[in-house]
Amino acid sequence: MTAAIEVSHLSKSYGSSIAVSDISFSVAVGEVFCLLGPNGAGKTTTTEILEGYRQRSGGRVSVLGFDPATGGRAFRERIGIVLQECGVQDDLTVAEVIDMYASYAPRRMRTDDVVELVELDAKVTDRVRHLSGGQRRRLDVALAVVGLPEVIFLDEPTTGFDPAARRHSWAMIRSLCELGTTVLLTTHFMDEAQALADRIAVIAGGEVVAEGTPEGLGGRDRAQTTIAATIPRGTAPLPAFGALPTAIEQSSDGEEQLLLHCPAADTTSVLHQLTGWALDSGVELGSLSVTRPTLEDVYLALTQDRPDTRSIPTTNEGQEALR
Amino acid sequence: MNATSMNSTSMTTTSLTTASLTTTSLDGTTTTELSRLTGETSDRPGDLRLVASQIRFEQRAFWRNRSRAFFSVGFPLVFLVVFNAINGSHRISELGGISYATWFVPGILAYGLIMATFMNIAVSTAIARDTGILKRIRGTALPPWVFLAGRIGSTLVTAAVLVGVTLALGVGAYGVTIPTSTLPGLVLTIVVGTICFTSLGLAITCVIPNADAAPAVVNLLVLPLTFISGIWMVLSGAPVWLDATAKVFPVRALAHGLQHAFDPATTGIGVEWGGIAVLTAWALGGLVVCLRWFRWEPKR
Repeated sequence: MTAAIEVSHLSKSYGSSIAVSDISFSVAVGEVFCLLGPNGAGKTTTTEILEGYRQRSGGRVSVLGFDPATGGRAFRERIGIVLQECGVQDDLTVAEVIDMYASYAPRRMRTDDVVELVELDAKVTDRVRHLSGGQRRRLDVALAVVGLPEVIFLDEPTTGFDPAARRHSWAMIRSLCELGTTVLLTTHFMDEAQALADRIAVIAGGEVVAEGTPEGLGGRDRAQTTIAATIPRGTAPLPAFGALPTAIEQSSDGEEQLLLHCPAADTTSVLHQLTGWALDSGVELGSLSVTRPTLEDVYLALTQDRPDTRSIPTTNEGQEALR
Repeated sequence: MNATSMNSTSMTTTSLTTASLTTTSLDGTTTTELSRLTGETSDRPGDLRLVASQIRFEQRAFWRNRSRAFFSVGFPLVFLVVFNAINGSHRISELGGISYATWFVPGILAYGLIMATFMNIAVSTAIARDTGILKRIRGTALPPWVFLAGRIGSTLVTAAVLVGVTLALGVGAYGVTIPTSTLPGLVLTIVVGTICFTSLGLAITCVIPNADAAPAVVNLLVLPLTFISGIWMVLSGAPVWLDATAKVFPVRALAHGLQHAFDPATTGIGVEWGGIAVLTAWALGGLVVCLRWFRWEPKR
């Protein structure tokens, strides 16, 4: 079996409100899989079911062969969890907290190695209370990995970070992956998904609306290329480049906007024809650009029509007492 | 890979391959090189060893947080000093003319025990739940009962320190005599009382809505009961219904049990069995509430 995580037809409702309606995906061992979606889409609910915090309403889930709801200690010894905003024993030092969480697992990384990994080696004797926000988040990661888990859950690991700190943390997450750890990441940042994930599932309104690699998500790799340029007003009629319809829009300052759409595979050829024509007819192509839909374009198209207003509790509304 | 293959408790054979771990920053330079990332492998940690290590971590965190330590342990000692300064020269005629300190020290010991157990564990657990510490712990391999046993064990250690300091101060500064023939009563009341109020401290967190409300809820419950239970003043003229009300609650049972053991007029081994029964009943009630309603996550 090569799947570390398998989810099929997962659903979860709190009373009459549906948080997750029908989610299926599978994560291979060693893969970084990202659940991408707007706030309230059902990412955290899905993750917390996989972590064993919530009972599912329907469907099947399996993590490392365990049902998280009943896996208990043997299951938790093999996973690591980085929750969204979550406190830690503030009056202990960094090294003490790491030692404490390490003591729960049957195998562990050395404290020296952990603090080096998360770059807190200068802070080992500092009380947790005195760490900055970014340092605390790195400590969260340290506590999740110190027991050498096979699967790590990262719920919005860089929310609230400045750009440099985010890049830093991405590098750290990549190094975890080099250890062969399977990572389930949730985020609402497209650049984060693109930078880290092997595969992405876009979740909106409690459903998976698209799944694929960052390059191929939503048919992005097969989507049309747009070539745009400005040409002087009154330029002679254009030839039909590669038999494509050519759009000309009026624009200001005595210029016209030229727009060409072509299949991704024809981009080079069409561009060659266009620039060849421009040279031959002495036309200057202003602001020439060649664009493909970005992950953001695809994401927004996938999620924009989803009703996001239904109230979806992110924690234990409905009184699920964990015991 | 399936669950049954992991059920064996002998997990000693997990061996980790040496892996090379490199963190590469954006410009391609290597910032961290962990060439020997070997896991230290051992057995699944034993439950009792884990309880002991949890108690150590909890104790360290407790005494380091000065304000928390003061309100749990120092506060009752302040009352001990202040009330003795005011009334220290009195003798209590209603109780056969015993010295004020002989009556007040066991009462303030009861109050101190309630602060060090009930208030301490209730407030700190409510905070731990609100800040997500309980949720984080629940996601680790630490068995939940071990975590709670660590908290309870640490609270008992704190209570033992409080008993030691209070008695030392009572004997050293205020001339109180530790009873000898009634020592069994003193010890039994302290032990049962401590367990009772620790249990109730955890149970009350099931009712406390959030951390901000915790001290208010605790004081609202404790303070009125200490007044009607004869901790601050001798209640010789109190109406019968008030006394009957106080007798239902564990505060009076603890205070009276201790006062009874310290009273030179007490004969026998000094155990107030009625009070022990009340404390035991409340302890069991608290336990039932915890088992049924204890929450690891904040209410939103």
